[in-house]
Amino acid sequence: MTKKTRDQDIAFIEALADLLKSNELSEVEVMREYGEDDTLNVRVSQIKNVAPQAMAAPVAVSAPQQSAPAEVLNVAPSNNSIEDPANHPGAVTSPMVGTIYMQAEPGAPAFITIGSKINEGDTLLIVEAMKTMNHIPAPKSGSIQRILVEDGAAVEFGTPLVIIE
Amino acid sequence: MSDRFPHEYDKLVFTEVDSTNAHAARMAKDLNRSTWILGLKQTAARGRRGRKWVNPEGNFSATLVLFANESEQTLALRSFITSLALFDALVIVTGRSDLLSLKWPNDVLLNGGKIAGILLETISLEAGRKALSIGVGVNLITAPNMAQIEGNATPPVSLFSVTGVRVAPEPFLDYFASCYAVREAEFLRNGFLPIRKAWLEHAARIGEGIIARLPKREIFGLFDTIDEKGHLVLKTQQGKELIASADIFF
Repeated sequence: MTKKTRDQDIAFIEALADLLKSNELSEVEVMREYGEDDTLNVRVSQIKNVAPQAMAAPVAVSAPQQSAPAEVLNVAPSNNSIEDPANHPGAVTSPMVGTIYMQAEPGAPAFITIGSKINEGDTLLIVEAMKTMNHIPAPKSGSIQRILVEDGAAVEFGTPLVIIE
Repeated sequence: MSDRFPHEYDKLVFTEVDSTNAHAARMAKDLNRSTWILGLKQTAARGRRGRKWVNPEGNFSATLVLFANESEQTLALRSFITSLALFDALVIVTGRSDLLSLKWPNDVLLNGGKIAGILLETISLEAGRKALSIGVGVNLITAPNMAQIEGNATPPVSLFSVTGVRVAPEPFLDYFASCYAVREAEFLRNGFLPIRKAWLEHAARIGEGIIARLPKREIFGLFDTIDEKGHLVLKTQQGKELIASADIFF
C-alpha cells in the first residue's frame, strides 16, 4: 500500500466517523471496490443509548388500552428528522399497513439477520394484513445492513423495514 | 372437466400432495394462467402461522394460484372475495343462507362455527412477476374435535354434521370456482365497493361488541363496518380504530 492511498483511506475513515457523529448514527459500514484485489471494507460504530424501537414506525392504532403494555405505546413516531431510514438508497419500505413477521412460522428461523447475504427476490420478511401473508422480496442482491422492525410490530405504508447494502 | 368449471381458469387435481399451498408455490412459475389446484389428500396440511390444519380425506383442500399485477393492498382484498365466494358456494349446496355468516376478514361461519380456513400468501416469481396463492380448506365431512383447538377459538363444524349435506371435494370445487370467478370478475370490473357491500350484508355481529387481538394487545369495540381498503372499523371508548391485522373473537 502506498502512503498516498493509506492517507486517503484514513481520511475516508475519519470522514465516516464525522458522518456518524453529525448524523447521530450508531454504525456505518462501507465496502469499496477499487479494482481486482483492491478493496476497502470499513465499519465504524459508536455505542449509543438509542433503543432500536425508536426507529420503528408509528403503530396503526394507538389509543391507550388497559391491556396495552407500555412498550407498545412507546413505539411512537420518531422525531429524528436528521436520519430518516426511508431515504436511504438501500431501504426497503412496507407496501401496506400491517403486522411484521420475521419468520415463515413461529419457531422457524428468521428469514434474515444482520449481515445475511441475500439474493434478489429472496423473502426478507412478511407483512400481514387481512390474513394475507405478503412475502416482501429483496429488490436487489446484497447483505442486510439494518433491520428496522421487530417481529409483531405494526407498520404503516412506507415504513422502512430493512436496509440492504 | 365439467361444464360448470369457469373457462378462464385451469384445474389440476392431485390424489395426494404435501400441502396445496406448498405445491402451488412450487408450480406457480410453470403455470400460464390462474389455476385451481385440488388435493384429495394432504399429508402436511398447514394453517396460518404454522397452525395445525387437520385435513382427513373427504374434506376440501384447494389452492388458487391467481395471477394479478396489483399492489399488495389490492391483492389482500382477495380475503373478502374468497370468503364471499365460499359463502355463495355453500348457499348453493345447502340452500341455507340463514345458517351462514362471515367474520372479518375471511372466515365463513356455519351455525356460528368455523367451517373453513383461508390462507393467502404472495408468491414472488422471476422478473417481478407476482402471484397470490389462496389456500382454502373446508370441513365438508368432518371437523377436528375440540381438544385440538386453541382456547377460545371459534368451534369447528362440518357441512355434513350441521346440514346433513354430503358433497365430494371435486364437485364442490366446481361450484366454488364458479362462484369465485363471478366475484373476481365483479371486482375487476367495478372495484371493491360491490364486494364490500355484499360482504357486509352477510357479516356476523355488526353493531355488536367484538375483540380484536393484535400481536401485542387486545382492543374491545363495537363492530362498525369495514372501510374501502378492507380494514375493520371498531368503535371504542377512545373513538374509531382502523385495524388491518388482528384475530377476531366474539
